[in-house]
Amino acid sequence: MELTNGMVMGASLSDTLANMWNAIANSSFFEVTLRLFEGLFTTVELFVLTLLFSLPLGLIICFGSRCKFTPLRYVVKTIVWIVRGSPLMLQILVVYYGPGLLFGWDLLPRFTAALVTFVINYACYFSEIYRGGIQSIPRGQYEAGQVLGMTKWQVFSKVVLLQLIKRIVPPMGNEFITLVKDTALVRVISVYEIIWMGESFIKKGMMWPLFYTAVFYLVFNGLLTLALGYFEKKLDYFKS
Amino acid sequence: MPILQVKNIQKSFGAVNVLKGIDFSLEQGKVLSIIGSSGSGKTTLLRCLTSLETADTGCVEIDGKVVFDSESTVKLTRQEKRENQLKMGLVFQSFNLFPQYNVLDNVMLAQQLAAKDRLDYKAKKQEILAEIEEHSRQIIDSVGLSDKLQNYPCELSGGQQQRVAIARALALNPKILCFDEPTSALDPELTHEVLAVIKELATRNMTMIIVTHEMTFAKEVSDQVIFMDDGVICEQGTPEQVFDSPQNQRLQEFLGSFQK
Amino acid sequence: MKKIALLLALLLAVSVCFMGCTTGNNVTGTDKVADVDYVKGNGKLIVGITDFAPMDYKDADGNWIGFDADMAKAFAKYLGVEAEFVEINWDNKAMELETKAIDVVWNGMTITDEVKGLMGVGTAYCKNMQVVVMKADKVNDYKTIDSLKDLDFAVENGSAGAAALDALSIKYTAVDTQAKALMEVKSGSVDACVIDLLMAGAMTGEGTSYADLAAGIAVTDEEEEYGVGFRKNSDLIDEFNKFWTASLADGSVETTAQKYNIAKNIIK
Repeated sequence: MELTNGMVMGASLSDTLANMWNAIANSSFFEVTLRLFEGLFTTVELFVLTLLFSLPLGLIICFGSRCKFTPLRYVVKTIVWIVRGSPLMLQILVVYYGPGLLFGWDLLPRFTAALVTFVINYACYFSEIYRGGIQSIPRGQYEAGQVLGMTKWQVFSKVVLLQLIKRIVPPMGNEFITLVKDTALVRVISVYEIIWMGESFIKKGMMWPLFYTAVFYLVFNGLLTLALGYFEKKLDYFKS
Repeated sequence: MPILQVKNIQKSFGAVNVLKGIDFSLEQGKVLSIIGSSGSGKTTLLRCLTSLETADTGCVEIDGKVVFDSESTVKLTRQEKRENQLKMGLVFQSFNLFPQYNVLDNVMLAQQLAAKDRLDYKAKKQEILAEIEEHSRQIIDSVGLSDKLQNYPCELSGGQQQRVAIARALALNPKILCFDEPTSALDPELTHEVLAVIKELATRNMTMIIVTHEMTFAKEVSDQVIFMDDGVICEQGTPEQVFDSPQNQRLQEFLGSFQK
Repeated sequence: MKKIALLLALLLAVSVCFMGCTTGNNVTGTDKVADVDYVKGNGKLIVGITDFAPMDYKDADGNWIGFDADMAKAFAKYLGVEAEFVEINWDNKAMELETKAIDVVWNGMTITDEVKGLMGVGTAYCKNMQVVVMKADKVNDYKTIDSLKDLDFAVENGSAGAAALDALSIKYTAVDTQAKALMEVKSGSVDACVIDLLMAGAMTGEGTSYADLAAGIAVTDEEEEYGVGFRKNSDLIDEFNKFWTASLADGSVETTAQKYNIAKNIIK
């Protein structure tokens, strides 16, 4: 008797769960969340790939802007000036439509064009952060390395680099967080990131999904802030 | 034959002639102190000797081998440059320890990097690294810091940091060890521990060049003293000659300013 | 100073280059652009759209449907290729066409002089009007054009509705889509908006997304017409016109229009 009772109880519990699940799955909230996750995937993909390419490229640009060969230095500084001095949204439009409008070339895929723009743009910002960081390393560190017989590369990689990283983590963190939010701009060339997905519900008379996207940004940036804080703490063991 | 032979070193920065022709020599195992007021060119001379600056003219010979010659057009290989560089050690006024490494690693780093160029490095890596560590521990012990091996520079006093810097320079076995005002950045109560280490090195016949403002110390430890003023050597000789019976008027004024 | 002058000169050179190229494209004369071969070579017709019921919108499975979408699929089939739909940023439609990011704009596009200047347009296929949309409980209070003058408006930037309000010297807030204009009304930030009659029919009133909004009077006397946009001088325009004539003749336009409840607007 008790056994049957238990079975009935179990059955009704699973029914309730199934009903709840159906209610959730059929609700607009669930549908919206799914769609926004789709957009979030594009956002995160753009964020990760941008960092992956722009962090090393920024260092190369930084070396270029400090190069002893004057023409190269001016070319690099001009590029940095143009990229930092004009709106990112305009750059996205130029990179995507420019080749077709100017030369009749085939266009890059939309996501690729967005990525290329972001990599160049952020590399220029990063190069300035690197430059500030490198200039703040005391000359004595380079000289100490030199009199100990190290090559320039050894001095950079073994002595300067970690001190540089420690100095640039806070300003880099700011840029990372700005980057997360800047990804919203790529919707001008119809890359379907999270805001685009949120906006698409306006057609269906729902405004809240657009504002709901903020939750995704906040969580993303919250995790990013935690990670950066952890990293900063890891480098706390020395002072420079 | 002297271990160090310096001939006609001249150096100017733009229109300013900082060194106007410096000649001197130093015997093996002797200690040379360079004194003079700020801006007299002492530090620039030391930087020229340690290749941190390139002199405009002149030539430097160490142990009978030319390490710098402004006339020379020979391109040195990386290996030769490093060998020349390592004949001279330098201890900085501001220590310049590498903040992200502990004491042991600060002393070992340059040796480990140099070892990578050895032909037998791959075959005997473990052995070589063990040797380097043993050697470094001994040297750190000799400056009295064997209990601080794992500490980072920011955890040490200024005097301790400067002793690590000395150990770091000594670890590469330089023929000559140079000091650029080694105690100027230290509180007075910390200078003696650094000076004690330098004195101890002198008793072990380490050849040293010391730029310093510590006159009593210079008198006590040196075999030879150079007084520089306005880019030239005004007077040089034994400590007794220079400190007790100075001939040059600028030297007399300079020493006078220390006996208030 | 010299450096700045040099940079400015450089910038000027780049902009002149841009201008030269765009005018260059316009000057290329009346030679037909061989788009039919291009599209067939690609094996697909890329159709630029926005989410715009009842012309282009998604069904429950996420497939594009609507009067325009269905006809675009039929046209692609007629050409022997697949139709691929790309949701575009409506402001960039001319650039999307010119750079071949898309092949046609097929999205309830009102034929205006501006549109005709930017692209080639096929036969007009559908009639439209610009109507006022406002809260359903107020719509009966505004029966004349004059009564509209004190209201705050939102319209899509550069749309036919914006042109109509300009003609009436009524001020408005420009937003980037018609749907945003509806959202402005719903949120109460403006009193009314002006959108396409067809869209108002599909998106307002009972049983729709904007149930508490309703369409009011028209703001233009003359009727507008919808057309499909192509690259200038594209030979696809001729193909489209042939296709459309045939589709009118065989009744497929009528059937599709009935399916989306816009049969009375179709130009026969």
